[in-house]
Amino acid sequence: METKKSTCEDRLRLLYPAVDESETPLPRAWSQKDKFLFIGLSQNNLRVHYKGTGKNTNKDAASVRATHPIPAACGVYYFEVKIVSKGRDGYMGVGLSAQGVDMNRLPGWDKQSFGYHGDDGHSFSSSGTGQPYGPTFTTGDVIGCGVNLLDNSCFYTKNGQNLGIAFPNLPPNLYPTVGLQTPGEVVDANFGQQPFMFDIESMIEDLRSRTKRTIEHFPVDDAQGEFQSTLHKITLTYLLHHGYSETANAFAKSTDQSFTESLGSVHNRQRIQRSVLSGRIEEAIELTREFYPGFLERNRELLFELKCRQFVEMIVQLTPVRNSVKGSQSNENDTECMEVEESREGGLMTNSDINLQRIVDFGTELCEFEKTLKDPDGKLKRIRFEACALLAYPDPSQSPMSYLLSPSEREPVCAALNSAVLESLGQPLRPPLEVALAHCKQLVKLMAKHGLGASAFADLDSILN
Amino acid sequence: MSSHSLAVAVGPPKVKDVPKLKDWLENVDKTRIPRMGGSKIIMNYLVTEGFKDAAEKFSKESGLPLAGTEISASLEQRIKIRDAIHEGKIMVAKDLVDQLHPQMLQNDPLLLFKMQQQHLIELIREKRVEEVLSFAQKELAYRVEGNSDILTELERTLALLAFDNPANSPFGDLLHVSHRQKVASDVNAAILEQDGAESTVSSLVVALHMLLWAQDELDKKKVKYPKMTDIASASIMPPK
Repeated sequence: METKKSTCEDRLRLLYPAVDESETPLPRAWSQKDKFLFIGLSQNNLRVHYKGTGKNTNKDAASVRATHPIPAACGVYYFEVKIVSKGRDGYMGVGLSAQGVDMNRLPGWDKQSFGYHGDDGHSFSSSGTGQPYGPTFTTGDVIGCGVNLLDNSCFYTKNGQNLGIAFPNLPPNLYPTVGLQTPGEVVDANFGQQPFMFDIESMIEDLRSRTKRTIEHFPVDDAQGEFQSTLHKITLTYLLHHGYSETANAFAKSTDQSFTESLGSVHNRQRIQRSVLSGRIEEAIELTREFYPGFLERNRELLFELKCRQFVEMIVQLTPVRNSVKGSQSNENDTECMEVEESREGGLMTNSDINLQRIVDFGTELCEFEKTLKDPDGKLKRIRFEACALLAYPDPSQSPMSYLLSPSEREPVCAALNSAVLESLGQPLRPPLEVALAHCKQLVKLMAKHGLGASAFADLDSILN
Repeated sequence: MSSHSLAVAVGPPKVKDVPKLKDWLENVDKTRIPRMGGSKIIMNYLVTEGFKDAAEKFSKESGLPLAGTEISASLEQRIKIRDAIHEGKIMVAKDLVDQLHPQMLQNDPLLLFKMQQQHLIELIREKRVEEVLSFAQKELAYRVEGNSDILTELERTLALLAFDNPANSPFGDLLHVSHRQKVASDVNAAILEQDGAESTVSSLVVALHMLLWAQDELDKKKVKYPKMTDIASASIMPPK
């Protein structure tokens, strides 16, 4: 990818981090298709010029829409238009319109169309008659158009000065639109690729912190202490689920809660998970066999996944590490941590033939094991294949499968083992807290889909990181 | 430039599909929550709410630092205050609060009422009827004027006296341990605010508020979606 393109993409991504462009692309240029005949485009479809005859009737008006509508997940959206030349009469309109609105018109004249016109400074809200709004604009001026997707209002700026709200109740899915009417008119758009004249970042920050406050102070009915007890329960179930036995015990005492699983069993699961998260898979398998006899024999697919991870760990040990992996070599004691920082980076594989032979033998064993398993959707085969593919590269840390070497990749297999043990004990597969967080992420996505701009500032990841 | 021809109508907006419960749950399952992320939320909660013992043990077991609001100098006092409230020693807690921030309760009549109400509840629990009445008359009667919320709460509380077994009465919730915990949490948040703590709300509370807020926003927009009806058990109901 060209450097130029990626920098401009970065600017837009910084402005609108909540937008998922694979679902709702941002407007980045004027559309070559969605425009009237009299509109000419140049300079990467950012410059618009009038190429009609301009006989001084409304039939001369010509507009162009951007390639995509404004995604609600922007929260606040903004673009600027520089008047390169006012042409003969300076009949120019900057604004927004819905898909399908007639392009042989200036923005604002029709239903679902909104515009601010240069010749009279009027705002046009789905009407052929304008309202006095702002100053006129002409050659050299920069006109900005902003959409607040939280309250669906639109404001304009002239040369960096906010002119106030022009339209209070916008419909969803509007496109940036510009319209021209007389020969010689030329305007350039800036959809965020270049710095704006107006300080839109402050406005975004302001709305972000306001939304944050709204969420923090969201009224929750807690007259009977239900929310309080929800917090206590969700914390205890989380601690128990992941095997933080001592914390769970202390917290349960402080909050006067009880739990059914024995503390010893929680502690056993803790030891197993520590082993997995530290990369000591063989030890985890032994502990599981000791604490839950027959469990792995009943869950051979899980055993297979563990062995695949063991295989990856063998490769990890052969791959020199620039920054040491926290917790991976420490011996077992009660203060050992269960969280693993990601810090592994690649290097050249040392050629220790004996170890390599051991790994190859283990890989062959895995293949034999796999043949004895049911694998209807090919999941196990894929796991084994990816693990084995690491060996095909002289430096596994530079291979497409290098992500497997990261300590955080121990988490899925750790969770799978722990969940299966819990399921065998009649407990849920996932702690309610994690389900609630995942549910919340889905909700925020759904909000964006339904045009709720506040979703832009409901940033769960910033709480998680 | 004005135009005088007729406005052109545009078709209705596209109808969106209602997400199916099965697909929704699949997506929820697929959404990985990094272990570190969940644990940080829990650590922040334990520290903010002053669960000192649990927070220290969690730091040991998870390897996460004891970070966050505990830098607030009042941690030790906040724990003492919370423990006193949890044990039902409300007047002890009130003295501690007054020592820490002498003006705080005076400036926050609602919070002061909540503590006094809890004190009444404790007296009722111990069947000290005379003390109940004299405390209510001396400390509370004059506050009620012009505040119907406080009046309702006071009536609910005194109504407990009318029952042989108040715990099984319609107002039994007042006697529940969670009522003490609620008061303790409110007092804790107020102290943190006095301390100028960056946030008095733990990230666990923010995350769950975000969930409830998002559901509320979707409800207001009349969007249909699978709704979480009980957070503690993470029950998600089909769209209706």
